[in-house]
Amino acid sequence: MDEKETRRDFIIRIFSVIGFLGSSILLLRNILLYIFPKVTPKKERKILIAREEELKIGEAKLLTISDKDLYIVRTQQGYKVFSAICTHLGCKIKWEAHNNRFYCPCHKGVFDINGKVVSGPPPRDLNSYRVEVSGKLIYIWFV
Amino acid sequence: MEAKELKLQKVVVGATAYLLIIVLILVSAFEVSKSRATEPKVDISGTTKKCVDCHLNRGVAVKLIDEWKASKHAQQNIGCYECHKAEQNDWDAFKCPESDIIVAKHPTPKDCAECHEQQVKEFENSKHAIAQMVMKAEGAEGPDRAVFEPLIATKHGCEQCHNIGNYWPDGSIGECDACHSKHQFNIAQARRPETCGECHIGPDHPHIEIFMESKHGNIYVAFSNKWDWNYKVGEQVPFNAPTCATCHMSAAPPAIKSTHNVSERLAWESQSPFSIRTSQYWGNKTWQEKREQMLSVCKQCHSKSFAEKYMLIADLNMLQYNEIWKTIVELIKKFKNYGLTITDEFFDGELKLTSWPKEGYDEEVEHLVYRTWHHEGRRFRHGAIMMGADFTQWHGIWDLQENLVKLMNKAAEHGIPEAKRWIASKDPNKFFLYPIYDVPGNPWGISSILYKGGALSMNRIKNYWEKVYANVKAAYEKGFLSEEQWKLYQELYDNRDKELGLPYSPPEILKEHMKVLAEEAKYVKENVATFTLPSSSPYYTSNSTKYDKKVAKK
Amino acid sequence: MVRIKNKKIINMRREKFSEWIFKRFPIDLQKISEMWEKVFVKEPIPEHMKNWFFALGATPLVLFVFQAITGILLTLYYVPSPDRAYESVRYITEEVKFGFWIRGLHRWGSNLMVIAVILHIVRVFFTKGYKAPRELNWIIGSFLLIITLTFCFTGYSLIYNQLSYWATTVGTNMIGEIPFVGKFLLLLIRGGIDVTHNSLIRLYNLHIGLLPTLMVVMIVLHIVLVRLHGVSKVYPDEPTYSFYPEHFYTVLQIMLFLLVALSTLTIVFPPGIGEPADPNNTPLHIKPEWYFFAVYSVLKILPLKFGIWFMFFVLLVFIFWPFIDEILLRRVKMKPSLHYIVGIAVILIFLFFTVYETIKY
Repeated sequence: MDEKETRRDFIIRIFSVIGFLGSSILLLRNILLYIFPKVTPKKERKILIAREEELKIGEAKLLTISDKDLYIVRTQQGYKVFSAICTHLGCKIKWEAHNNRFYCPCHKGVFDINGKVVSGPPPRDLNSYRVEVSGKLIYIWFV
Repeated sequence: MEAKELKLQKVVVGATAYLLIIVLILVSAFEVSKSRATEPKVDISGTTKKCVDCHLNRGVAVKLIDEWKASKHAQQNIGCYECHKAEQNDWDAFKCPESDIIVAKHPTPKDCAECHEQQVKEFENSKHAIAQMVMKAEGAEGPDRAVFEPLIATKHGCEQCHNIGNYWPDGSIGECDACHSKHQFNIAQARRPETCGECHIGPDHPHIEIFMESKHGNIYVAFSNKWDWNYKVGEQVPFNAPTCATCHMSAAPPAIKSTHNVSERLAWESQSPFSIRTSQYWGNKTWQEKREQMLSVCKQCHSKSFAEKYMLIADLNMLQYNEIWKTIVELIKKFKNYGLTITDEFFDGELKLTSWPKEGYDEEVEHLVYRTWHHEGRRFRHGAIMMGADFTQWHGIWDLQENLVKLMNKAAEHGIPEAKRWIASKDPNKFFLYPIYDVPGNPWGISSILYKGGALSMNRIKNYWEKVYANVKAAYEKGFLSEEQWKLYQELYDNRDKELGLPYSPPEILKEHMKVLAEEAKYVKENVATFTLPSSSPYYTSNSTKYDKKVAKK
Repeated sequence: MVRIKNKKIINMRREKFSEWIFKRFPIDLQKISEMWEKVFVKEPIPEHMKNWFFALGATPLVLFVFQAITGILLTLYYVPSPDRAYESVRYITEEVKFGFWIRGLHRWGSNLMVIAVILHIVRVFFTKGYKAPRELNWIIGSFLLIITLTFCFTGYSLIYNQLSYWATTVGTNMIGEIPFVGKFLLLLIRGGIDVTHNSLIRLYNLHIGLLPTLMVVMIVLHIVLVRLHGVSKVYPDEPTYSFYPEHFYTVLQIMLFLLVALSTLTIVFPPGIGEPADPNNTPLHIKPEWYFFAVYSVLKILPLKFGIWFMFFVLLVFIFWPFIDEILLRRVKMKPSLHYIVGIAVILIFLFFTVYETIKY
């Protein structure tokens, strides 16, 4: 540099640089937010899925809500609702009444009536939904 | 380029960059403010989907689908089939064409009760549930429908409102969609006074008219479009004036819960020929408890003293009406003694409806009697208790007194001596053919002139207050007034001079007003009453029936 | 001691690394850095370029870069199928975070680009920047104009709302009216006799594939030619300044200012969606975008076949103007002031018909 930068020059330069950097960062931030949509958890809503006395103890029924398949089961302890998607690699499970179990045909995964893994490759229990029983009506909190 | 210019360029770059930052922040703010649609998602699946698809395809009642979608049922996955499911043998079973679905053409409260059991039960205990029955009692018949009007007229008339208490073939009672209409079942709609006003209207029970006349109704008209009609059930009603639902159904936390029993807080049965305190058979509560409930609602806005004073005066009006009715009943009995057509089955103090089909409605006296309780009497009572001043006065007590006078005249025509004497009498107290109730003062304030002057009945009748006190005491002892009400009455009675405004002299401006009135009276006398038109004599003289040429020529 | 030793080690490692790179990537750094200095840093810019009117060449370039970037971002969410196109555009506008902004930048960017290009042409015309030996650059420039307008036409059709669909129909119909090659071009663009799903995909392909490639090639040629010839001086001894840093800052200013302007326009006049395309329902008023109003209006007035020929003629005159201008000046000995009259007349006619078409209906 030929001459020393005066303080005023320095301030002006810093002023511009900060402005430029700031706007670039904001710009980049907005574009990144555009590219990577944030996955906000969808709000839960309460929906009616069944009435009491539709199921006997030990029985399971397949329902479809909003293109999602669910199983509602009735156990000694009450009602439970599971997603019908196997936790291994996403195949649809089937309820086998004669064997009292959920069976996944893809890799022979087995879940019991409480959704717990019994045997096979599935790494965890079936996804379940929060159940609310109000009088004779069975609701779930559905996402 | 000079260094200065370069510097300027840098400055401009920096400034533009800051401007860009501001704009980008605005863009972000805009982004954030865009409300992510919280429109609730409506699923159409299962049997409901079949219903919707078929109906859309054939164009049958398709707007109903939009209605349903806007309902809360739809958001909770309660679709067509949940309410319209039916068995083969149901009274309203209907097989949808070209399908195997059997639907109920008309869901009843039994279907609603599957989820809304509490509300249906509350409704069954209310007087809405006997609406149809009172129109047609077992073994008797509501006379208008039985005798007086062709049935075809009553189908679009009486039945339309009274079917709120319909008795269904499946054993249930009522019409839930009378207030929150299908298929939206919107609670905001049900809460509107106009909804009640569909039926609670008309010369015999002008409730919506009374409401609209009242201050409550005025505030409603002024501000209701800003109110949140979707307030949660059970929370305090966020309005600055009550509507029908507010007083008769909604909650007044913490003590008063919301209910579908519209009769739960009614301390009077005031549509009947006599006003009676509601019994414990309705709602398992004494009338005092019911009145306390109602007062709890009033006290959300009003002071205890105002609400109780108002109710005390209203109650005494209810009882006053009883006295008028009794007088008329006695009078009618006298008609019979003079060979008139009214049977005593008819007027035993109560209307025995069985006699209507035989005789009634065809003579003026019968009409007057009917109207006195069914129309004028109801208007008077309901106006008095629900702040409809005009209905209490011109459509109420005035009409009642007129009916009384007409009946007396009719009685005199028929030769009843008491009636003849009454007509000839010049006693100013003659219009009070019955005992009087009264309360010193009024609920809204103290006037320095209202209760003064010798012409007023209160001041004309000797020992007025003692007599009135004795009447009210009797009513209290008979159980028509509560302990608190009697205590309040005694307080007012002891303070009656103040309540009547007696110690207060009227303001100076009264003299001004009186002077103006006097001068106006003088003006009227001098200029209007004595003013003769130029075409002098009347065009018709009683002497000639012919056209008087002489007069006309002038 | 250790510090110096470490520095030595670092330097050694750096040298070894450089050797390794240059063995595999044998470029002459020296030559490149010289060229860079000459072409970019020290390029002499005549003083008159400080006038903002002369920045109108850089503006379309900056805008094109913006369009390319925002366009690529839009392709992350846009679906070029007739049943999903409109919905995807709505999704971008209403639901994607900052989707409305990116789309707004793209939309307003296209409008501003057309304006900038037209202003640039006006500037070059009136300053006679096309005089020999720069005629070829003018021709390339006219190609750039045509490509820009084609960009706009294809881009707008991708929204697949009512106006898109019917503007495409009418526009391609007009292309079909071109003598000799019309029917062929029509089939080429539409991918069928009517506007079908093929049409949308072809327009999409044009918009994101062929046209950007052509555009980039033309831009490079255009700029290279400008550089090779050098920016023409207004008068012989005009002083110059170097490209970097001054002119660079100017371009930076333009860039930032355009971003501000586009974002502001997006907020104040957000891009709308209109109604979804309905092939069975022709709307009452179909109009192309505003930059086509003049052509549209004139074609409506003149009989169709004649109009097309006339437009074609005008286009040819425009493309070969430098030569025509030369002929008019030298051979026909037209007065120089005629140049201005012609220019102003064309501008006025363009403006008149554009405004007329805008306020009509």
